[in-house]
Amino acid sequence: MLLILAWRNLWRNSRRTLITVSSVLFAFMLATALISFARGFQQQMIETMVRQETGYLQIQDAQYFDQPSLDHTLEYGDEVRQALEAHQDEIEYTVPRIQGFSLAAKGMSTRPALVTGILPQREDKLRKLSANMVEGELFSDRDESAVIGEGLAGLLGLSVGDTLILIGQGYQAMTATGKFRIGGIISFAIPERNNTAVYLPLERAQWYFVAENRLTNLIIMPKDTEHIGPLANDLQSMLDREWYSVAVWEELMPDVMGIIQMQDTVYTGIAWVFYIIVGFGIFGTVLTMFYERMQEFGILLSVGMKRRLLSAVGMLETIMIGIMGIVAGALVSLPIVYLFQRFPIRFSGEMANYVLQFGVEPIFPFILDAQIFLTQAVSIFSITLFIGVITTIKIMRINIQEAVRNE
Amino acid sequence: MQTVIKTEGLSKTYTNTAVPVHALKDISLEFKEGEFTAIVGPSGSGKTTFLNVIGGLDKPTKGKVVIDDVDIATMKESQLFDFRLRHIGFVFQAYNLIPVLTAIENVSFIMLLQKKPKKEMEARAREMLEQVGLSDKLHERPSRLSGGQQQRVAVARALASKPDFVLADEPTANLDTKSAFNLLDIMARLNKEENITLIFSTHDQRVIDRARRVITLVDGAVDKDEHIDKD
Repeated sequence: MLLILAWRNLWRNSRRTLITVSSVLFAFMLATALISFARGFQQQMIETMVRQETGYLQIQDAQYFDQPSLDHTLEYGDEVRQALEAHQDEIEYTVPRIQGFSLAAKGMSTRPALVTGILPQREDKLRKLSANMVEGELFSDRDESAVIGEGLAGLLGLSVGDTLILIGQGYQAMTATGKFRIGGIISFAIPERNNTAVYLPLERAQWYFVAENRLTNLIIMPKDTEHIGPLANDLQSMLDREWYSVAVWEELMPDVMGIIQMQDTVYTGIAWVFYIIVGFGIFGTVLTMFYERMQEFGILLSVGMKRRLLSAVGMLETIMIGIMGIVAGALVSLPIVYLFQRFPIRFSGEMANYVLQFGVEPIFPFILDAQIFLTQAVSIFSITLFIGVITTIKIMRINIQEAVRNE
Repeated sequence: MQTVIKTEGLSKTYTNTAVPVHALKDISLEFKEGEFTAIVGPSGSGKTTFLNVIGGLDKPTKGKVVIDDVDIATMKESQLFDFRLRHIGFVFQAYNLIPVLTAIENVSFIMLLQKKPKKEMEARAREMLEQVGLSDKLHERPSRLSGGQQQRVAVARALASKPDFVLADEPTANLDTKSAFNLLDIMARLNKEENITLIFSTHDQRVIDRARRVITLVDGAVDKDEHIDKD
């Protein structure tokens, strides 16, 4: 009966109830769309960064993270191989790298360069380097040529077929020097990378750095990217902590994590602005319903209806408004989010260029995730409950005689 | 006849006003089972306060209200809710039905709060609505009933749970003469048939003429207490 009473009470003024439910619907829809977009944006950013920079997992020398130099490279030996073989069912592929700064020179001109030794096929699988080649070709594993960034080529006046001279410091303070024929020029959206990138075949780079069989990073791409924590733990357990460290992408890119957390805070803040506006809407409706029925409440209490039962009716009415809004909001949001997941938003013009600077494709699919819907539902429901509690307190404090006289 | 309500030295003073208002002054009365009593008096004489106090809606400043050998003035609020639910029927001036419930649901409401079995509850509600001549309006909501019909539903609601007594605060005040007489006939009949004690506050002469006992309050004190022999 309490349910029936609460339900019918809502429809005493159907227009008002519908307006309130609609406001919940819109808040739910806007918040869901906003968060789904934000998550999509973040996922795109993470995907790009992970592929271009770190991979999902890395094995490094135990000290490399704090002191990233060639002196803290790891030996790609039996211990590492055995650990990888033991988890081969969970690993899609690995990408070994050796990386260090040097001076790139042509004639009297020098520029700083980030020299990276790679296995081109593996690297290409990770980040499609060959798609960014603007001149020449990406070398093969056994090749001896170099690929340099388009910006660096421009700064030094180099082109395909020219000789690049590299001078730097190798492993354990050895002098690193080398001459390399330029086999290709590659373009990057990020200017810093475009102006410094030098790629060498892995073995050539190890030779150049005098670091045979050593790596700065061994990137691991797992088959299941959602559950990388357990794989990282398992690998670490098989490797001596004194020499090896297994790190996940969140640890490797604290800056990106910082941006994501900041975005989360901003978007959650915006969502809460929606909720608070809606909260006031619901509160206004509930309060109006409360004062309109003050005399009725007085009568019900007079005839012996317990305050807690009457409060339950008030609470049910508030909850019903919230639930109707949430369900309607979910039903409207679902196709919208699905649509933008299937047909993502594409930035164009300056916005697209801005995003491209960070190497992120300007395409942003929404994320269709039950967790997002659930979070919005729980947030709105919590606000509804809070308002319900206020109503309950007001009912508990009704002065029966004054309420009965109220007209 | 058994005493249903007994008040002893009942006083009520409102102190939340600029000057203390003595709404009830030392009222000692007894109401017997099956009585049909009108509490009369000018506005501000204390009629409604008296009904509120004996109905457990307000606490006396002094004195006792003994119902069923219990002084309800000493009861906690939670006990009073139960007490009112089990022992007292209320009829208010402005009908005060629950607008979203039908006539039969309104009449069943008190019994529902009393947790009576559904079948018994429905049968009793139907019976009461038949008694007040509304068997054809069982499923109508109050907004589709006239003022007189609504007040008859309110009477049916008050009596359906077979309370020890019914308190009616100016029940005919908003009714036209025909509806008022109709309601009074019904109440008089139910008073006889169900042997329920009825206590009205009123200044409606039509009610006073039907009463078998008329208590006149003046300035919060009993001025007259007349028993009228209708037979």
